Amino acid sequence: MPRKQPTEEDLERRKIVSVNAETVTDVTSTDFPGNWPGENHAWDIEKVIRDTKIEFHQNEPAEASFSLIGVDASIANAFRRIMIADIPTIAIEKVFIDNNTSVIQDEVLAHRLGLIPFTGGREGLDNFMRWLPKPKDNEPIESTYFDYNTISLELKVTCTDNPDAAPGEKDPRKLYNHGHVYAKDIVFAPVGRQVKYFAGEDAIRPVNPDILIAKLRPGQQIELSMIMHKGVGSDHAKFSPVATASYRLLPTITILQPILGRDAEKFAKCFPEGVIGLAKVTKEEAARQGSGYEGHAGELKAVVVNPMLDTVSRECLRHGEFKDKVRLGRKRDHFIFNVESTGQWESDAIFLASIAHLKEKARKLEQQVVDMVR
Amino acid sequence: MSREQYQIPTGSQQTFAAGGSNTVATSTNREFETGIMHYTCGDCAARVPLEKGAAIRCQKCGARVLYKERTKRMVQFEAR
Ligand SMILES: [Zn+2]
Repeated sequence: MPRKQPTEEDLERRKIVSVNAETVTDVTSTDFPGNWPGENHAWDIEKVIRDTKIEFHQNEPAEASFSLIGVDASIANAFRRIMIADIPTIAIEKVFIDNNTSVIQDEVLAHRLGLIPFTGGREGLDNFMRWLPKPKDNEPIESTYFDYNTISLELKVTCTDNPDAAPGEKDPRKLYNHGHVYAKDIVFAPVGRQVKYFAGEDAIRPVNPDILIAKLRPGQQIELSMIMHKGVGSDHAKFSPVATASYRLLPTITILQPILGRDAEKFAKCFPEGVIGLAKVTKEEAARQGSGYEGHAGELKAVVVNPMLDTVSRECLRHGEFKDKVRLGRKRDHFIFNVESTGQWESDAIFLASIAHLKEKARKLEQQVVDMVR
Repeated sequence: MSREQYQIPTGSQQTFAAGGSNTVATSTNREFETGIMHYTCGDCAARVPLEKGAAIRCQKCGARVLYKERTKRMVQFEAR
């Protein structure tokens, strides 16, 4: 017996995670083979190409927000994890301290230096810089240092009294020269072809020049050199190209019965601004039998304007008058990503790189499966 | 290299030119050979030279607390 195929409406409803007053239900996806009798949910490349959508809401170098629609949570989560842990950046890896008479300990100073985000010319970072290879046994680590995998930096600061300071000056930044050591005091020392790739505008530099590294008092000195390598976030968080890379599911708000007048205003206040709007009940709606608007023409009713702004606080479900008039949920295959770059990459480029990375991983897996069968 | 045994550092240990200089002020070597050590006064922070057997006292302010100076050798750390 052929079974009834699901309607478009059925398919949409299956995508909703129900957010109830005290529980969250229908969490797992159901669109996989064998789950719905008589329905074919086999993976199909044509379907993926047709259904997958990406819409940008905000796209700035430091922060991007976009919707990834029509994919499974496993795929969206893979992109998130790749962005955090697998996209490479350069960061300070070793610190050679010649002198440090400041109050901050060598270890802590080295750790702080490592966490400073740096940037430089894209061409040099993407195509010229390579991974640092492991040194062969009984060979010193320096034997693998070359201009294409090691960047050196220097920091030499001595604090002195400022003779020009006004009498009675209390601000240590004016009272002393170099009372504060900032990221901008770090000097890039190019070697070999780095002179070409990281020249002028493209020089290796801290993304945020005003990061405070240490505080000094007259007579104290910091003198050190550093080397940077390419690394990934799974090794150490300092290599992660993102400050945040997270997603949330698109909230859905369905008004089941009319919410009118004062109630509508109260209902709107249950949500963040811009989620619920007020609209006049039209004559047509008021004339339609069974719409719930009969005789309310011209009154204000609550309408959903922008569910994306909702925080899903469920405040409306706490009020008896709205409890049965509204249904909250989230769309299971609509992921609203928020990616904030630390500055070495443009934030949208991090996402694109994560797609390329997943593709590459899949290709490697495919090769291994082929080898396994052979 | 044994930790205990002091070796006068030379500049030739470093292979990567940019990776941390290991040079040590030659004046320190001379001081070491002449037996004069420098300390830092705990009161006035002056640099106090002391010979073997000399009274432990700052020549500037007379304070009796002197601190040993930081090593002149390069110290390497991982930025982690
Ligand atoms: Zn003194």
